[in-house]
Amino acid sequence: MIKTRTWIIILAAAALIAAAGTFFTLRPRGEAKLVEVVQDGTVLREIDLSSVTREYSFEVVWTDGGTNVVTVRPGAICVSAADCPDKVCVHHGWLTDQSAPIVCLPHRLVIRAKGDTSLDTVSQ
Amino acid sequence: MRYRTLLKKIASLFLLLLLLAGCASGASPAGGVSPSPAELRGTELFAMDTYMELKGYGASDALLEAAADRIRALEDALSTTREESEISRLNRDGETNVSEETYRILTRSLELCRETGGALDITVYPVVRAWGFTTQSYRVPERGEIAALLETVDYRGIARDDSTRAVSLPESAEIDLGAVTKGYVVDVLRSLFEEAGVHDALFNLGGNVLTMGTKPDGSLWHVGIQDPQGGLLGTVEITDKALITSGGYERYFEDEDGNVYWHIMDPQTGYPADGGLLSVTVMGDEGIRCDALSTALFIMGTEGAEAFWRNHKDFDMLLVTSDGRLLLTPDAAAVFTPDEACPYETAVIEP
Amino acid sequence: MALLTAIALIIFIVEAQIPAPVPIPGIKLGLANIITVYAMFRLGPKDTAAILLCRIFLGSVFSGQMTTFFYSLGGGLLAYLAMLALRRVLTEKQLWVCGAIAAVCHNIGQMAVAILIFRTFELIVYLPVLCLSGLVTGVFTGLCAQFLLGRLKH
Repeated sequence: MIKTRTWIIILAAAALIAAAGTFFTLRPRGEAKLVEVVQDGTVLREIDLSSVTREYSFEVVWTDGGTNVVTVRPGAICVSAADCPDKVCVHHGWLTDQSAPIVCLPHRLVIRAKGDTSLDTVSQ
Repeated sequence: MRYRTLLKKIASLFLLLLLLAGCASGASPAGGVSPSPAELRGTELFAMDTYMELKGYGASDALLEAAADRIRALEDALSTTREESEISRLNRDGETNVSEETYRILTRSLELCRETGGALDITVYPVVRAWGFTTQSYRVPERGEIAALLETVDYRGIARDDSTRAVSLPESAEIDLGAVTKGYVVDVLRSLFEEAGVHDALFNLGGNVLTMGTKPDGSLWHVGIQDPQGGLLGTVEITDKALITSGGYERYFEDEDGNVYWHIMDPQTGYPADGGLLSVTVMGDEGIRCDALSTALFIMGTEGAEAFWRNHKDFDMLLVTSDGRLLLTPDAAAVFTPDEACPYETAVIEP
Repeated sequence: MALLTAIALIIFIVEAQIPAPVPIPGIKLGLANIITVYAMFRLGPKDTAAILLCRIFLGSVFSGQMTTFFYSLGGGLLAYLAMLALRRVLTEKQLWVCGAIAAVCHNIGQMAVAILIFRTFELIVYLPVLCLSGLVTGVFTGLCAQFLLGRLKH
């Protein structure tokens, strides 16, 4: 039988560790800029723009073979090239904040900022 | 306390909780167990040539499904890109009978064409097509071609019969309801959600926004407005309003010399509207009207839009001009907070 | 025993109306564990297992979400195992300890299931806060069970 007092110590220590853990995991971390790259409802990638150190690109391919080239640099993301007829996504330019998402309709691609609760939606 | 008395108390508590649980888990008219009213639930879909998001507090999956189905049904009926739609048939045959809903939308659109003095003209479709916006094979048409097409552009030539819902177009005329459809849809969604008991919701159909009610903490919806040149103009805090933005920047092409041509055509000239505006945002109670006005005011240009507003005053607007100004109506200015990076000189339009 | 199952179910359903503390849909506080802890110490492991399984199954039917079933199962299983071990070590005045440890195990179980379902290990970032809330609510539920046990022991 473990004495009640011992239990109190054990659980109090556990609570302290959990509290410290909570602090470290959930404290607001100034300016984390999250964006999601979504295709046809599936989140392909989530990128934290504030922790990007150098520019890089990747290609997104749709089921019909159509491609979009997504370029990421510190604090911003854009579609730098695409083989869709309209190129609305390319025209959109760099996405740096909560403004309207980059959308490529023919390829069902949406790139949008995420996590910031100050804006509910954007009229574009 | 004796065992028995305690047991009785537990039993009555049990019954009370059962009653509560029954009310709380609720049987909604839309079928199934409805979600907690504090939960924001939504769906997203691609329809009407754009990306759409619908969300509502307490919206059930059944309601969201029904909303998506309604949108697709309207697209099937109205879209000029669907060969079997009522509008396509009308354009092909020159005359036809349409469904009740289509007839209503058409009638309202014509009223709006009249109200805007023809700035909005649903018969401008052949011109838009000539520039290549419907097929994405962009081109700059010859003057002669445009002049010929303009002969057919006049909404006043459309004949209707209220009793049979027959609609007939003049020779070679064709219509497209694209400038008003999404505005109409947000009105429909509002009714649909209200009937289902969801009073706090937000829809964004490719930039056509409608807000209902408030968020659970009582705060209003924060809607951002896009800066035509990239980024955000700012935010408005609103509720129970439609908010729709139109601008050339949404769809355009450039020729080899770098000239920019956008999809909003002036029905008078047959060329991209040239009124000095980059974007128009209209806020009001009726979605279809806001949608129509956002296009019409863009075409009317800065002075035209200001004059129109002074004559009507039953809506609010924000205008971004090509000479770097952001003009707002007084009520719009009251709810608008500019973004830090907003580069325009702001001014309130005098009533 | 049926009465206990019913009570556990009611608590579960009513608790489901409380918004989730973290953005993982379906994660629960675990108040129905009052019944589980009580049963473990009053009726024994077999009966407790029966009550728990019934409550989990019926509870997820009522809540209408499939994910709830898996969370409850994962969490319930781990909590059950913990209680099984603690049963031999704790006195009747120490049920609050059982409640706390069982609640933490419950949350760890739920977290594991959530990570498996959503295939995002990143969710683990919520583990510390869940453990903290588990400890707190667990002490509360354990005390309730302790109170019940004391009162109904005639």
